[in-house]
Amino acid sequence: MWYLVRRLEFFIVTLWAALTVNFLLPRLMPGSPAEALLVRFHGHVSPQAVKAMEVALGIHTDQSVVQQYLEYIGNTLRGELGVSVSYFPLSVATVVMQALPWTVGLVGTATVIAFVLGTLIGMLAAWRRGGLFDAILPPVFIVISAFPYFWIALFCLLIFSLTLNWFPLGFAYDLTSQINLSWDFVGQVIAHAFLPALTIVITSIGGWILTMRNTMITTLAEDYVKMARAKGLSPMRIMFMYAGRNAILPNLTGFAMSLGFVISGAILVEIVFNYPGLGFMLLQAVDNEDFALMQALFLMITLAVLVAVLFADVLTAVLDPRTREAG
Amino acid sequence: MNSRRLLAGLLSTIALVSAACGSSSAAVQPKVGGVLTIDNESGTTWTCDFNPYNGAVTGLSAGIFYEPLVYDNLLSDQKTPWLATSWDWSPDNTKLTFTIRQGVKWSDGQPFSADDVVFTFQQMKKYPALDLQSVWSVLTDVSKSGTDKVVMTFGSSAIPYFFQIADQVSIVPQHIWSTYSDPTTQKVDQPVGTGPFVLGQCTAQNIRYDRNTSYWQPGKPYIQTVNYPAFTDNDPANQFLAAGQAQWGGQYIQSIDTAYIARDRAHNHYWFPPIDNIDIWFNTTRAPFDKKAVRQAFAYGIDRDSVSKKGETGYEPAGNQTGVLTPTFNSWLDNDAVKKYGYKFDAAKATSLLQGAGFTKNSSGIMADSSGHTLSFTIITIAGYTDWDASLQVIADNLKQIGVDLTVKDQNSNDYFNNLFTGNFDLAYGSLSTLPGPTPYYELRNSIDSVTSADIGQTASGDYGRYKNSAVDTLFDQFGATTDSAKQHSILKQIEGTMLEDVPVIPVTEGVAWYEWSTKSFGGWPTPDDPYAAPAPWNLPDWEVVLLHLYQTGS
Repeated sequence: MWYLVRRLEFFIVTLWAALTVNFLLPRLMPGSPAEALLVRFHGHVSPQAVKAMEVALGIHTDQSVVQQYLEYIGNTLRGELGVSVSYFPLSVATVVMQALPWTVGLVGTATVIAFVLGTLIGMLAAWRRGGLFDAILPPVFIVISAFPYFWIALFCLLIFSLTLNWFPLGFAYDLTSQINLSWDFVGQVIAHAFLPALTIVITSIGGWILTMRNTMITTLAEDYVKMARAKGLSPMRIMFMYAGRNAILPNLTGFAMSLGFVISGAILVEIVFNYPGLGFMLLQAVDNEDFALMQALFLMITLAVLVAVLFADVLTAVLDPRTREAG
Repeated sequence: MNSRRLLAGLLSTIALVSAACGSSSAAVQPKVGGVLTIDNESGTTWTCDFNPYNGAVTGLSAGIFYEPLVYDNLLSDQKTPWLATSWDWSPDNTKLTFTIRQGVKWSDGQPFSADDVVFTFQQMKKYPALDLQSVWSVLTDVSKSGTDKVVMTFGSSAIPYFFQIADQVSIVPQHIWSTYSDPTTQKVDQPVGTGPFVLGQCTAQNIRYDRNTSYWQPGKPYIQTVNYPAFTDNDPANQFLAAGQAQWGGQYIQSIDTAYIARDRAHNHYWFPPIDNIDIWFNTTRAPFDKKAVRQAFAYGIDRDSVSKKGETGYEPAGNQTGVLTPTFNSWLDNDAVKKYGYKFDAAKATSLLQGAGFTKNSSGIMADSSGHTLSFTIITIAGYTDWDASLQVIADNLKQIGVDLTVKDQNSNDYFNNLFTGNFDLAYGSLSTLPGPTPYYELRNSIDSVTSADIGQTASGDYGRYKNSAVDTLFDQFGATTDSAKQHSILKQIEGTMLEDVPVIPVTEGVAWYEWSTKSFGGWPTPDDPYAAPAPWNLPDWEVVLLHLYQTGS
């Protein structure tokens, strides 16, 4: 129990620190949103008009930093994230909610698939160490994961979309469709997400395979595995319940972290496939010095990672009784 | 991945241009139908805001929904009556009277009238942030006269502002806009306009425009549906276009002959008409750029042709020192004067000019004055515009030969524009951030008329180099006070003379309107032979005119 309380304390302190850094970071960047606004209007707008726009956007350049900080914490707790400069006049919440489902759907699904597949392959490769399976799959995927993300993405696009025409070119669903719950629409979403997801899976699977295979090999040498064999348990049971269950523990935290980072999207994949997700939005927010949007996205990423890590801690406590007692 | 389309995107935010309609395309009335898809990297997903005064999205509503009073073709200055049927300047050129077209209806069925026009201009006066063209810097009053006339009164004669007022201002419906509490921050998701299309559907990734069946030009438009997908980057947009999924492109394509034309030689075309200059700006308040001889030496020390070929792969032609775009504005160019000065790469001449100004080469081959100050400078430009970086490399190599040492400094666009506007630079590379116009007057005025400038540290809307020449300022005033074309030509020649003699700024290459099109299923495109409108989909409001000309071919 103490273990969980400690984790929760850690969670709250980290969250506060992240909120503060999140507040400071954009303000340490060169330039200001006021300048960005001026540039948007090509110097056509009078300083008074810019002042008016600043007020509309909630940029109070005349407030002290402490005032701004308190206001920021208050607004964040109330869930008021402000107005986006780059998507003016939309609110940050609207803009983020437009992109969030696509990113969570695409990158989230791809991350889970990569983790499950990678762990299984790593487990099997270690189980039959030196076999044909072990000799081919892990090295191939590890080499592929060393390739630049966007290179694989462009390659897939060129072969499967442009040349073979198997998959549609870009976007999250057919251009003229409206978001709805028909089978037809679901089919479109899958067809459009297939290549970007494939890219993410094949470039990230190598890491899971490698770590799982290595910890699995160590685990297989443990006495309790030998004991299980000696007892004559079925190989499947030994592989999953004895060796696998213990070998997966270090991977779990890594998986939780990467689930958290799903929110940050996959910038390059989204750009190559013209996919309307959060990764591109983050890039644009930084480019346009869109503080409100930047802060909201960073906050979501931080929160997602922290929650995922907390979840992993709980899961570890369930899977590994030692952590419960040690607390 | 970064490219100059970014700049075009920026320009298109406020950008407008124009078009002459009364043309030619269809002797036989084409059938209505077809789905046209536009391919233009916007760098963002759609917000579905159709407020024409929001600089970021004006290109999605100006023209196609909200129409201007008169179309003024950016490439030829040919004017076509649009929501105004005629216009008339008072004898002293300080009053402009528009006669407003009768029988036009807003897309919600309400009648359009002179009141809407007056309302549009008054609203821009009330909310200066809406006045993207700064028309109220010259207007003093806009009022209705009779039932169908609108009178605009100017502080002093400002004839070239006709372009901004008549062509660039989108007329909006009073009965809708008067209900908005603050039009500057209003999100307009159900646009009501007089234009040829109405909003069909908008999602973050695509806007569908449907034909306005009760458009005031009978029978038009011929196209049933226009799709405008949102592309966040150049490469996916180019692939989409090359795959034939879109028919009308407006962006830079690397190796266009293999990447686009070769994909369908029978139907794919491109045309890149020049619309503005890409310049080297001297900060004339800083030594040695206050010296004419130094500026002239630079003009002789740059090989514009090789910058165009190596830096811009030949897509953007070399500029000339008058600042008059060729071939777009050939009729304005003073050929004799151009020949007399003969500005082309001439290291000997440049060197002798620098020596005449008191510079000698030091031991490391760099020119220095008697007190040892070397001609070593930093030139600022926008990070990510890879073609500009390549151009600057050529320029630096050129200048090295005349003993000038140039360091290129890439800055993010915010920093760059801020430094440019406030005069915080030695040398800068880039184009004007204000819009070009249908004659060379507009760009030249914003480049060298000190009225557009400001003190160092203040934001200037033009003349970033702080060049001050009262004689040339007077010439611009005189140009603005006359409607006599012959007189305008002769005044502009004198201005060109100043550009050649004084070299306040160096036009290096000419920026173009990127335009690609496929004749596979649609006809009626603007071409070099029939330049009825500026052809890029981000040329506003010209794209409306192009859409009115296009028709489906075949079945």
